[in-house]
Amino acid sequence: MNLGDAKLVYAFSCIVLSLIILSPTLAMVIPSPSGERFSELWLLGSDHMLAYYPFNVSAGETYKVYLGINNQMGNLSYYRVNVKLRNESEPLPNSTMGLPSPLEPIFEYNVFLRNNETWEREVLFSFAAVSFEGDVCRVSKVLIGEHAVDVSKIAVWNETSNAFYYELFFELWIYDPAGSGFQFHNRDVGFWLNMSSQL
Amino acid sequence: MKSAAKDCRNIFACLTVAMIIAAWLIPAGFAVNVEEANAVISQAETDIGSAYAVVADAETAGVDISALLNQLSSAGDSLSRAYVAFGTGEYANASALAIECSRALDGVTVTAASLKAEAEKAHSDRLLFSMVGSSVGLVLLLVFGFLGWKLLKKRYFKRILDMKPQMEGAQ
Repeated sequence: MNLGDAKLVYAFSCIVLSLIILSPTLAMVIPSPSGERFSELWLLGSDHMLAYYPFNVSAGETYKVYLGINNQMGNLSYYRVNVKLRNESEPLPNSTMGLPSPLEPIFEYNVFLRNNETWEREVLFSFAAVSFEGDVCRVSKVLIGEHAVDVSKIAVWNETSNAFYYELFFELWIYDPAGSGFQFHNRDVGFWLNMSSQL
Repeated sequence: MKSAAKDCRNIFACLTVAMIIAAWLIPAGFAVNVEEANAVISQAETDIGSAYAVVADAETAGVDISALLNQLSSAGDSLSRAYVAFGTGEYANASALAIECSRALDGVTVTAASLKAEAEKAHSDRLLFSMVGSSVGLVLLLVFGFLGWKLLKKRYFKRILDMKPQMEGAQ
């Protein structure tokens, strides 16, 4: 190795050493790149699995599902889950357009989650004041946990499936601290229910 | 004697009437209408949103927000219940729950801001310490690098000179 080559190797070693010396300061000044930011919303059945969702329901009985959220947004997030009930003809959220369902929520969960944190809640629900008149079923009260909510939801008899269909669904909203309040986060989960007078 | 008894009866009757009127008027005085309940809930929404923004900032600055998060969650639960009460027409209850929500946030903003300032100061102290350390390290690297290079160069030339052929028996 001649002197010129040795000089290059020596200079390179010095640069590498200086970078090692500077690395703690650089790590504090240069922000590390964050990964993809997203949120998860899920619904599990009564056995805490992707099965055994309540389907055939009737007034006075209590049913159970598990609702969960995971925050991968990179910081503390403020979520709102709107619980909504609809019949077959009422609109669902439009995931293509990113629009929520225009239906009024019957209940809401306010959840604060740090990055990489998970929230899961057992959702107990039941129906009261259910009446049947010909091919029309009317649900007047829904109980979410211990909270009774007045609704007036009509389902028409579905002749193809022989059922009065309702859907209980959950929309995920996220708070934008920039001032625009809650925004629909384009995530929703739900399941169908067949209301019957007796099981 | 008869007159005293009559007076007592009158006082008793007056008291009874006054109590009935009070029982009728006092709840009416505390009754909350839909607009009032709505205003209190909106205020609670604003409070919780502001508190969240400050706590989120504090978390970004490196503050442990566990205690603040409990307060936020408690306020969030009260707000959820306030909406349910509002939906069922229990405006007084909705209003009380919204006030409970705002009260649960008492001190959150101030605590979060103070913890954030502390965390930022600690961060700037650490940064200063790290910069001083790095600077000293760089200076030492430059000095010892220069001396090392000198030494290496000297040894290199010495080796070259040692390799120079020498004449046997030269005078």
